Amino acid sequence: MKVLLATLTAAAGALVSATASVAANSSNTAFSYQKAHAGGTLKLLASTAGGTLDPQVNYTLQYWQLYQATYDGLVTFRKVSGAHSFDIVPDLATAMPKVSNGGKTYTFTLRKGIKFSNGAPVTVKDVQASMQRLFKVSNPNAGTWYNSIVGSAACLKTPATCTLSGGVVVNAATNTVTFNLVAPDPEFLDQLAVPFGAVLPANAPAKDAGTTPIPGTGAYAFSKYDPNRQLTMVRNKYFKVWSAAAQPQGYPNEIDMVFGSTVESEVTAVVNGQGDWVFDPLPSDRLSELSTKYASQLHVNPLTAVWYLPMNTNLAPFNNVLAREAVNYAIDKNAAVKLFGGTQLAQPVCTILPPGFPGHQNFCAFQKGTGSKYVGPDLAKAKALVAKSGTKGMAVGIVVTNDTVNMAVGQYVQSVLNSIGYKATLKPLSANIQFNYIQNTKNKVQISLTQWYQDYPAASDFLKVLLSCSGFHPGSDNSINIAGFCNKAIDAKMAQAEKLSITNPPAANVLWGQVDKQIMTTQAPWVPLFTPKQIDFISSRVGNYQFSRQFYMYVDQLWLK
Amino acid sequence: MFSFVVRRVISAVLVMFAISVLVFLIFFATPGVDPAARIAGRSATPQVLAQVKHEFGLDRPLPVRYALMMEHLFIKQDLTSYVNIGDPVVPQIMAAAPVTISLVLGASVIWLLVGVAGGVVAAANRGKFIDPLIMFLGIAAISVPAYWLGEVVNLITQSKLHSSVFSWVPQSGYVSPSVSIGQWALHLLFPWLTLAALYAGIYARVLRAELVNALNEDYVRTARAKGLSERRILLRHALRCSLISIVSLFGLDFGALIGGAALLTEVVFGLPGVGQLTYTSLQNLDLPVIMGCVMYGAFFVVLANMVVDILYGFLDPRVRLA
Amino acid sequence: MAGLAVLVFVVTICLLAPVYASHIAHVNPFTSNVQGTTTIHGKVVAVLQTNTLGIGVTPIGPTWDLSHYFLGADNQGRDVFARLLYGGRTSLLIGSLSALICVVVASLLGVIAGYFGGVVDWILSRIFDIVWAFPIYLLAISLSVVLLTSGLNLGPIHIGPGSMMLPILIIAMVFVPYVARPLRGIVLSLREREFIQAAIGSGASDARIILKEILPNVTPSIIVFFPLMVAFNMLTESALSFLSIGVQPPNASWGTIINDGLGLLYTRPWVAMAPGIMIVITAGSLNILGDGARDAFDPKAKLRGSI
Repeated sequence: MKVLLATLTAAAGALVSATASVAANSSNTAFSYQKAHAGGTLKLLASTAGGTLDPQVNYTLQYWQLYQATYDGLVTFRKVSGAHSFDIVPDLATAMPKVSNGGKTYTFTLRKGIKFSNGAPVTVKDVQASMQRLFKVSNPNAGTWYNSIVGSAACLKTPATCTLSGGVVVNAATNTVTFNLVAPDPEFLDQLAVPFGAVLPANAPAKDAGTTPIPGTGAYAFSKYDPNRQLTMVRNKYFKVWSAAAQPQGYPNEIDMVFGSTVESEVTAVVNGQGDWVFDPLPSDRLSELSTKYASQLHVNPLTAVWYLPMNTNLAPFNNVLAREAVNYAIDKNAAVKLFGGTQLAQPVCTILPPGFPGHQNFCAFQKGTGSKYVGPDLAKAKALVAKSGTKGMAVGIVVTNDTVNMAVGQYVQSVLNSIGYKATLKPLSANIQFNYIQNTKNKVQISLTQWYQDYPAASDFLKVLLSCSGFHPGSDNSINIAGFCNKAIDAKMAQAEKLSITNPPAANVLWGQVDKQIMTTQAPWVPLFTPKQIDFISSRVGNYQFSRQFYMYVDQLWLK
Repeated sequence: MFSFVVRRVISAVLVMFAISVLVFLIFFATPGVDPAARIAGRSATPQVLAQVKHEFGLDRPLPVRYALMMEHLFIKQDLTSYVNIGDPVVPQIMAAAPVTISLVLGASVIWLLVGVAGGVVAAANRGKFIDPLIMFLGIAAISVPAYWLGEVVNLITQSKLHSSVFSWVPQSGYVSPSVSIGQWALHLLFPWLTLAALYAGIYARVLRAELVNALNEDYVRTARAKGLSERRILLRHALRCSLISIVSLFGLDFGALIGGAALLTEVVFGLPGVGQLTYTSLQNLDLPVIMGCVMYGAFFVVLANMVVDILYGFLDPRVRLA
Repeated sequence: MAGLAVLVFVVTICLLAPVYASHIAHVNPFTSNVQGTTTIHGKVVAVLQTNTLGIGVTPIGPTWDLSHYFLGADNQGRDVFARLLYGGRTSLLIGSLSALICVVVASLLGVIAGYFGGVVDWILSRIFDIVWAFPIYLLAISLSVVLLTSGLNLGPIHIGPGSMMLPILIIAMVFVPYVARPLRGIVLSLREREFIQAAIGSGASDARIILKEILPNVTPSIIVFFPLMVAFNMLTESALSFLSIGVQPPNASWGTIINDGLGLLYTRPWVAMAPGIMIVITAGSLNILGDGARDAFDPKAKLRGSI
């Protein structure tokens, strides 16, 4: 158990002792609630709604940030700020699960006395139904994450009659829930801790609930959702704190997310005190103004995310490794950082795993000079490599989304590719199309610009998902291994690392780091550009800004008084 | 008259049918817009993808899908969005319509007054300084991109001069007249002025040209010979015939705007009207909502043109109803 | 004649764009210059300047010095004035060509619809309705994706995404109803006039009546529409370029520079204002020119002797 806990904490391995101790240091274990600050209505601004409100379907950062206050799973990520926000703690379960059977069986005991926001009590039947529901509503990761549960194969085939028999066994008398897995899965608890693992009432509709809120157990509940106007969260009147580390009490009485303004208007509204926070990325021409005149309202935090250029390793010219190396040498990551908004907002990276992530190793292969820190591009070498590869003069299309920052980086990349000998054209697409477009091999995309944000802090979430054969589905709109990189030897090494992480997580992380280095230095399927930071701009009337590395800004911990 | 209306109603249905088919075909002819993948989510396996496709009826042949969509939209009126699952399309449009109507009605009153006044003054004073001045202002106003003008207005009223001259300007957004007529008008003031600015110039320009044309006509010379004042000639005789172009343009503009063509103005000023709904649904490639908005817009274009054709008869009695 | 002089000036300086860029300003307005530097008042400064706190990057503003960065830099560090001149060539081409096509087609269709009436008018009016009510943005988004993949093949003609003919044709077609319907209305009214009735009565053929009687009376209105359409078309071109039909990066048009400038409105407003001013000047001078041309064509105006 303790071993497994350690797997799931952040990079600095020696946190085992910290997480095991439920010590008195409240800032590391949970927030301490200050009743005097409670009250008021928080007004969050977002230019568009985030899609369906169903926590088992929605896969957007926009709503995951709200689900942490409205839904609970058996376990969750610790609700604190700082490095401990990656800890997994028991939520609706009384304690961390008993793991047996060589890591294939997890037994949880459900807490008693917790109610949904409609007054109904939470029972083990609800837990079972929620797991079945994942398959019934076609959860995006039903086939990749939750296929580790026994009985999931049948559920994937005929979701409507999903029972997960043998996989999720509940006992109402002892109030226990037992999961049986097909094989040991070191990331199982992470997958229960994200909003997909939320425990919902058994009578929740067996299809995507869309705009109808589903009752939850969190401190807040969604009361109204009009995707063209506003999403309203109010206090869950049946909520009582059972674990401040898992689901703390919140301060505002009501939290509204208002849609429909342009990002510029949103920033102006917060400046004028007519709104409290902007969800969308801040427009670059306001950053200077905000960082000088409103510096105290601006918060910058590191993210475990990466902006990168995947190159199609199965299509000319980038099926030639020399060409890929050339592009890596040519692009100035510092220029990309500048276009994103400056050195305080992004940091150049040369690796697949972002800095501070479990398994991250410091190295930087393709640049001027040697050394593990990025210095600058080497255009001469890039041109030489292009000539050597025989791909000089080829036409290259760069597919980007058509918002300001992506277009800016894209134009820069186009300019660089032209300067090293290609004939590059920029192909902007709407954000709603681009992500699936670049995944489908039928579209013959050679190089594109995209981002990846972690689902949870595990190296496999980057390396296995994005660069293993299992992530590559030719001809499908969902083939997240955009580079089309499929190398059996490296896949074997990844499998080895996965297996090792069950027994020896630190060693596994070292292995993951080696996989990262091997992929980048020998094959270079990507050009990693930079790791961005999260900027939050809040109004002058709110206080107590808290940032979780998993959930980002805690909307419910902002106080208005 | 009756047969005219009947014929125009049939025409309207035909036009809307043609547009709906075109929209449908274009949508599904576009690679990468298949909603299944976006609905299914970012790492969905082929199995999950297939399930989603089946649930949304995306694995059925095109004509069947078209028929189903039209049935849900018009007959059952329960067509739901691809992006906001379960959210019915028709109520969304009905909720957005009053906002757009408020915006367009107010703006059109302003631009007609300003445009007609400008055109008349310029024609009456043709050759003097004020004539090219008005024309230049008009051209300047219509040469300005709508989005840019809106952003600049916001920049000035909400940001740069907000603490001083424009502190009375409320935050962008819409307030229903049932809540407060004063706030409704105040929130719409700058959107009205912005939208009107974009159109007034055309009307002034076209009217001036038509008036100058009309003032050269024989019947005007006759009127002058009869001793009527220049002013009376201008306003009572020349104006009436010159209004045909204005009325045609107004029909086209008003019809299109009510149907949601003011989308950039609505987006910039945060007004949740049909234009903004169209814009969002285009960005999201949400076919049901796009279809609903396009049908709604097409209906008003056809209606407006029908009214204009009737008006021709009043403006120039010699015109037979076409 | 002031109108003509201004127009000639604008066209000339735009045509001279390559001369300006290589010999006067020594810049390449089509390559990104993110990490570039330039000299202002003897000091070397970065073209894209990072805010002292490291948050936010601002391009340099106008130097008002024709030898470099006269209007400042855009968000890729390129010289805005050089791009403005190059952009003018593209915008003038697209704007005037599409306006020409639009006005010619619209006049033809509008006159035919108004004159013949009946079924012909009914069909044409329905086509106008469909075109006018059609969601052009959807078409543009769809086309941009289709062209991305393969380009469009219409028989022997291959149209790639960067082809200028595409925005020219789309914009021209979209505005045909806007010109055709007013013209149709005028012709409806004209048709009932005595001199037309007389011509019909005397047995003149339809073609002759249209060419000799109707068109000359409609021409002044057509001439008025042309500069208006040029202005609209330049603006529509900017919307279409935003959706990646037509002018592809790194090429410039006044429309694309306006789009770039919108992201810099709060710090470098000149980037968005300069192309807007150019559109105003061009449309304005065309307008004045149009008035002059109209007066030249209209025999009755000459008789009156004013203007």
